Amino acid sequence: MSLAAVVRKDFRDVRRAKLLWFVGGIYTLFAVLFFYVGSTNENPDVLVQLWNMSGLAILFIPLVALVAAYLAIAGERESGSIKYLLSIPNRRSDVVFGKFLSRAALVCGAIVLAFGAGAVLTAALYPALEFATFTRVVALVLYFALAYVAVAVGISAMTATRSRSMAGAIGYFFVFNVLWIQGSAFSVVGALRFVFEDTLGIELAQNTELFVQSLSPATAYLQSLRLAFPDGYRDIPPADPSTPFYLQPEFMLVILAAWIVLPLLAGFLSFRRADIG
Amino acid sequence: MTAIETTDLTKRFGDDVLAVESLDLTVEEGEIFGFLGPNGAGKSTTINLLLDFIRPSEGSATVLGYDAQRETQAIRDRVGVLPEGATLYDRLTAREHVEWVAETKGVDDDPDAILDRVGLDEDDRQRRAGGYSKGMGQRLGLGMALVGDPDLLVLDEPSSGLDPNGIQEMRELIREEAERGTTVFFSSHILPQVEAVCDRVGIMNAGRLVAEDTIAGLRESAGGQSEVSATVETVPEDLDLTAVSGVEDATVDGSTITAVCSTPSAKMAALEHVHERTPVLDIHSEDASLEDLFNRYTGDEVEQPDSSEAESAEVVA
Repeated sequence: MSLAAVVRKDFRDVRRAKLLWFVGGIYTLFAVLFFYVGSTNENPDVLVQLWNMSGLAILFIPLVALVAAYLAIAGERESGSIKYLLSIPNRRSDVVFGKFLSRAALVCGAIVLAFGAGAVLTAALYPALEFATFTRVVALVLYFALAYVAVAVGISAMTATRSRSMAGAIGYFFVFNVLWIQGSAFSVVGALRFVFEDTLGIELAQNTELFVQSLSPATAYLQSLRLAFPDGYRDIPPADPSTPFYLQPEFMLVILAAWIVLPLLAGFLSFRRADIG
Repeated sequence: MTAIETTDLTKRFGDDVLAVESLDLTVEEGEIFGFLGPNGAGKSTTINLLLDFIRPSEGSATVLGYDAQRETQAIRDRVGVLPEGATLYDRLTAREHVEWVAETKGVDDDPDAILDRVGLDEDDRQRRAGGYSKGMGQRLGLGMALVGDPDLLVLDEPSSGLDPNGIQEMRELIREEAERGTTVFFSSHILPQVEAVCDRVGIMNAGRLVAEDTIAGLRESAGGQSEVSATVETVPEDLDLTAVSGVEDATVDGSTITAVCSTPSAKMAALEHVHERTPVLDIHSEDASLEDLFNRYTGDEVEQPDSSEAESAEVVA
């Protein structure tokens, strides 16, 4: 079974990369810091720490995932080791999907480690573990991470060199994690307003703007956190029955699923035809 | 059955780079085939086409009877490949590399037995490949190619990075494999490495196959010439070397007299002829005919492969 062999070999290879340990270590360090400092409050509440951790994930998970996976295929093409990979019975699909699985396992492992450290501290220092919320938050963070690993592997499959893949990953991060989600005129919503309202004179429905914004995996993930925390917790608005389905938190999971499937598919279709010279 | 067969195989990169042009190549099962040509002649491109690393612009190829584009898995199951210019996985040890190939091919070869064969030291096997020299990497790459006892070995510039000792071992290994019935197809831009082991050779130049023959056949078309030179103190006036039977041409360059001989035995006669007239200080003999032929096939002056026969005829005459 060559897919399994690709996964095992790649996992064994990449888990020895120091950079990954470094980035993963920082996330764990933050987790330990958050959970420890939070416990010194008068009324320690683990939900606060989970909230902080899931917010930090917006910035951190894309970085960890992109770093862990942007070289998955492009790096092997640049070094030429991909010729060893494709000289033995591996299909190109095995390469793309195998790389995704191994990198995803690695990133998810790092996340579980960070939250695991948090869970140990919580059990020791907090009055309640809030197990259900805890598990839901970890699950959503993992799901979010899968989307970014898929994007990074997809970009890596579409590029032949380290530098192009890096440019692609940084560009993606900039567009979808910075431009897309910020509120100014330079965001995607700002651009839409300029085109439709200022130029064409067509009023944009607020729901349309919100939906466009939710197409970024970061926003989709943020909206999906409503599924993990109790209604009305912190900035989370209370459930509104008039919300259209495409703005429901459940639909955010569909958007994230698309961010897992489509980049991988695009990467595979491009890599399938690529000349490995 | 043929091990490798290409039909009108053509690969263009962009609009103006024609890397391989209408290649018709046949490698029979069980033979050692040397694929020759200078750098950039299209050897690696051809190999990349055979292994489906790149796709042909026109034409087709079969490897062990399987279509190179459509039946890649069947080919990769039965072929061992040493790719050119490929780095290993820096963070994996030699043993892990071989184990991975064995796992992927679904065979249970003993990694140590294979690494013994290619001469990678016990200590080096435990180390990560990131610290390997080029020669060690080449040995490991060859070991990976041998996993699963392939029916066909495709070795792209196998001797690059190896010291003379390593090259000798590589040659022996190729012979051993051929004795076991493995077809060996290997490329090189250095002729002497090829003529010692090959049953047949193909010579590529500028994307085209300009010769395909046995070594003996090539020698024959080269005219079986050889050269001998003698360094003398003073070149005698009445030399007339061509009067010696078997000497076809003679040149004088400073104090060096060179005789081109049609048979090796004429070399001694030529030397005696010179020595009778003036003291010989040093001699140099070389059987450069095959190399000359290779250079003629691959040199810039050979634009039309069709004219090569005419040219070699000219040299013989």
